[in-house]
Amino acid sequence: MQSNAALEYDYTVAKLFTYTAIIFGLVGMLIGTLIAAQLAFPELNYLFGEYGTFSRLRPLHTNVVIYGFTVSGVFATFYYSAQRVMKVSMAESSFIMMVGKLQFILYVILAAWMVVTLFMGVTASKEYAQMEWPLDVLTVLVWVLWGVAMFGLIGMRREKALYISMWYFIACFLGVAMLYLFNNMEVPTYFAAGGLGSMMHSVSMYAGTNDALVQWWWGHNAVAFVFTVPIVAMVYYFLPKESGQAVYSYKLSLLSFWGLMFVYLWAGSHHLIWSTVPDWMQTMGSVFSVVLILPSWGSAINMLLTMKGEWNQLTENPLIKFMVLASTFYMLSTLEGPIQAIKSVNAIAHFTDWIPGHVHDGVLGWVAFMIMAALFHMAPRMFKREIYSKKMLEAQFWVQTTAVVLYFTSMWIAGITQGMMWRAVDEYGNLMYSFIDTVTVLHPYYTIRAVAGVLFVAGFILFAYNMFMTMTASKKLEEEPQFRSPMAA
Amino acid sequence: MFHWLEKNPFFFSVGVFIVIAFAGLIEIVPNFAEASRPVAGLKPYSVLELAGKEVYKKDNCLSCHSQLIRPFKSETDRYGQYSLSGEYAYDRPFLWGSKRTGPDLHRVGNYRTTDWHENHMWEPTQVVPGSIMPAYKHQFTNIADIETAYAEAVTVKNVFGTPYGDEFQPSREAWEAHKPKVLAEAKAIAADMKDPGVKAAIEADEVPEIVALIAYMNRLK
Amino acid sequence: MDIRELQGYASFFMTIFLVIMLYGYIIHLYRSEKKGERDYEKYGNIAIDDELDSNPVEKKPEAQSEKKEQKK
Repeated sequence: MQSNAALEYDYTVAKLFTYTAIIFGLVGMLIGTLIAAQLAFPELNYLFGEYGTFSRLRPLHTNVVIYGFTVSGVFATFYYSAQRVMKVSMAESSFIMMVGKLQFILYVILAAWMVVTLFMGVTASKEYAQMEWPLDVLTVLVWVLWGVAMFGLIGMRREKALYISMWYFIACFLGVAMLYLFNNMEVPTYFAAGGLGSMMHSVSMYAGTNDALVQWWWGHNAVAFVFTVPIVAMVYYFLPKESGQAVYSYKLSLLSFWGLMFVYLWAGSHHLIWSTVPDWMQTMGSVFSVVLILPSWGSAINMLLTMKGEWNQLTENPLIKFMVLASTFYMLSTLEGPIQAIKSVNAIAHFTDWIPGHVHDGVLGWVAFMIMAALFHMAPRMFKREIYSKKMLEAQFWVQTTAVVLYFTSMWIAGITQGMMWRAVDEYGNLMYSFIDTVTVLHPYYTIRAVAGVLFVAGFILFAYNMFMTMTASKKLEEEPQFRSPMAA
Repeated sequence: MFHWLEKNPFFFSVGVFIVIAFAGLIEIVPNFAEASRPVAGLKPYSVLELAGKEVYKKDNCLSCHSQLIRPFKSETDRYGQYSLSGEYAYDRPFLWGSKRTGPDLHRVGNYRTTDWHENHMWEPTQVVPGSIMPAYKHQFTNIADIETAYAEAVTVKNVFGTPYGDEFQPSREAWEAHKPKVLAEAKAIAADMKDPGVKAAIEADEVPEIVALIAYMNRLK
Repeated sequence: MDIRELQGYASFFMTIFLVIMLYGYIIHLYRSEKKGERDYEKYGNIAIDDELDSNPVEKKPEAQSEKKEQKK
């Protein structure tokens, strides 16, 4: 850096998305904790009248943590690491800089609009695709701008070969673009019906079973291309960089990348097992879900082996701890998912709390841990200050790990209990339990889950505070740290 | 073999796209025509029922209730005949849900009545002790958007050929002509209800959300 | 032959094809590295040595400055 003082990596856009990741993370997780508590204590449904019921808040929770927190994290880490692995600075092109900033502005407008419409109950109602058509149009615009910035940077790069992280970012861009467009094909009724009714309303291009297929092709693969692919991109860059160890095997990463790309899309129909979609499709979803273990574990094992011979860092550096635990949770949830996709297991697990349990060991243990670790790694480089407190980081790690464990264990028990009770019959073959019996029995587990939510949010507040102090009050750094992020005790 | 790919972003992206698009083509496309055929005798939703479906979406009932009865004895005993693909032919979007915090509703019209729903939506725990479902009292005062529901009916008729009658036309006159039918249907439901606010609204030619929702619930059979 | 039968054959042959592809690719990767034709693992260093002025592992042929001029 000294020899070329004039030209530096430019983190303006990365910083902006870091702020939104923290804010949306906090908001989304607070709502999540509230709705978790509502299931245990229904009186909490009446805090904000019509706008505070579980049903109205649930899509807000999912959309804010997915499109607010996670996607902000993806953009922030992209605008940080893409420059570095391609050895090109955003400052070299005013056009790309402008695109990045414009993308951020539109993104914030979109997010605000999304929050307002979902509170009002304006929704297309397809899960994780609730936004109505005008918001979809804006989403496409934000995504296209990201693509322009991505391929613009790629065009300017000095490093000929694209690093592993870039493959995954490209896949994230293409995958979400394709899936989002097809799933959100809808006809605005206002224009089709000669100006009658609400402008915001639309109907889906697909009906019934077809709609379900397209929706879960999207739903499942939104998990793939938002919660898996870009997070893998992060771990392939940040773990080697933080630990100073090159990735264990580039060849393995090639294999698991193409394997993941090929296999992931097939598994979508495992959300529709025992439904009215054709049997062969359900079987296909089931089989490919199991095959999916291979490429997922390929990446996870590659990560863990990257630490080979350097496991002492696990005790010394809390960021390594976050990332290794994230990889481990990735292994856990990519094993759990295929188990749930087996037809006989699915018969019990589907529609129960085991499913949100599975989702959350992935998103809390893997996605959130990885994003927070990445942002912590970026902070000293972006703000040129050391991380404010190592103690706080350690505390956060243990509080949140406890939270995740409490979350998924309670939901495993709740899910299997309820699944078994729904099908339990007495000696004459009559159903043993009325539906309400299977609800009241879950109260203790819902309570534990709410406690887990409170713990995770508490950890996230520690994270936000630690980041804020790092940005504003921490000790200034003379030069950019090479590997391990410096942190005050 | 593919070594050059990582250095050629364009071909790399094309490669990724082909690999991921493949599954969708094979799994989704072949079945499209077959899955969208309605079962014999299936009628499209009335405008009031469509407005009720919008209330169902707005208050997001599907976050806790499924509309999909799986082919197991334990499910058919509890909820009735298992669901068939053709029964959903007019559901845009599909409302299967993915979680049963509450029971399945695909055939709720077979075993619940208007007054049951009225009491239950007002205060669930009075009807089902121990219920964790929130009360939806605001549905008794909020007015359902039947005009948008009519626009939806016209849209699906014109764009997707859903069999609505010839009187469904994209014009305000056609809507004004059809509106009395919607109000009459709402009136018939409100006759079985006791809430004075709802009755007053119906007299003033307005349809509270709860009436539309109950029309939709009763239709689910 | 109805569609089900066709699907059966298609899935059988596709599975075999994919397995051969996968193992072929693995063998190819390791053999070309053993023969010294390629060094895949050096690309892992892209993430480690990522300063703006550090030498790229493999330089992109056209110079950066030219590209910028073309754009303007």
